[in-house]
Amino acid sequence: MTCILFERQLSSYLDGELPAARAARLEAHLRRCPHCRAELEAMGGIADHIRAASREMQVSQDFDQRVLRAMGYWQVTGRPIAQPRMLKPLLVVAAILLAITGAVRYYLSQPYRPPMPAPRGAALVAPASPGGTVVPERERR
Amino acid sequence: MEEAVRHDALALERRLAAAGDVELVAACAEGIPEAFRELLSRYRRSAVGLAYQMLGNMEDAEDVAQEAFVRVFVAIPRFRGQAAFSTWLYRIVTNLCLGDRRRRRRTVDLEAVREPRAADNPAGCVTDGLLAGQILAEMAVELRVILLLREQEGLSYRDIAEALDLPLGTVRSRLSKARMTFRRLWNEALQSGEEQQ
Ligand SMILES: [Zn+2]
Repeated sequence: MTCILFERQLSSYLDGELPAARAARLEAHLRRCPHCRAELEAMGGIADHIRAASREMQVSQDFDQRVLRAMGYWQVTGRPIAQPRMLKPLLVVAAILLAITGAVRYYLSQPYRPPMPAPRGAALVAPASPGGTVVPERERR
Repeated sequence: MEEAVRHDALALERRLAAAGDVELVAACAEGIPEAFRELLSRYRRSAVGLAYQMLGNMEDAEDVAQEAFVRVFVAIPRFRGQAAFSTWLYRIVTNLCLGDRRRRRRTVDLEAVREPRAADNPAGCVTDGLLAGQILAEMAVELRVILLLREQEGLSYRDIAEALDLPLGTVRSRLSKARMTFRRLWNEALQSGEEQQ
């Protein structure tokens, strides 16, 4: 009958966290109760079972890299990355878009030039275009 | 010149590997990247393992552990060493897991964890680790986390109280309840296994 009360103390006793007086009473009970002795021993084995549960677990190879990268992002923006896995593809897309718009804007801002630049001397003889600079084809429309 | 630099880097790495957590935290506060790497290599498995047993799947566990590390690392310059580094990290992992669970009550993953795995095992028997994982998944989360911090991470009662923000007496009684629950579920599983054979 009293086993239930003692069983509740086994956990603290196992960790050396039971006050001395109570520990002495429990030890007296343990000496004459094989059931509580077995339970104490089984409780001591829980740690092994639980460690076994995580033993097979494999952490991704790039875990550290992801942490360090996310950390850099946090320090720059002051907030964590919501979806770290998405960051790399997003950056790639952003870089491509930026490159395309940059190229288009550069192309539009350039005045028209003939494909092959004329030699220095030839420029003196070549007839000047009617409006000075030649307006690019698309801007004339 | 390059040789000397390489030698210095190696010496630093070796010194950090031998250093205690307190020294490593101080080195991190000074912004030494190798110190962050060393702390990662020490606690990577524990942090992911704790999150894994709480969330039931690896992808979420790594995301949570990653966020916990980032939070801890970014806050390191303000860390005054009130608690051990590990306690601090586990506290954040635990809080993130609890928040994560509240956000999207996992359904699919837990079911997958709970299914008996005997069929997966060529020998036809459930291993200790498999059974322990199943039992942990069945336990209430507040019992599970305390059991993991004590039995898997080996934290003292005081550190558990710190990590979970609980009074010491509650740690004692809850851990006792967690162990008794684990034992009961373990015995039930073994009995039902015997009946099936
Ligand atoms: Zn007894």
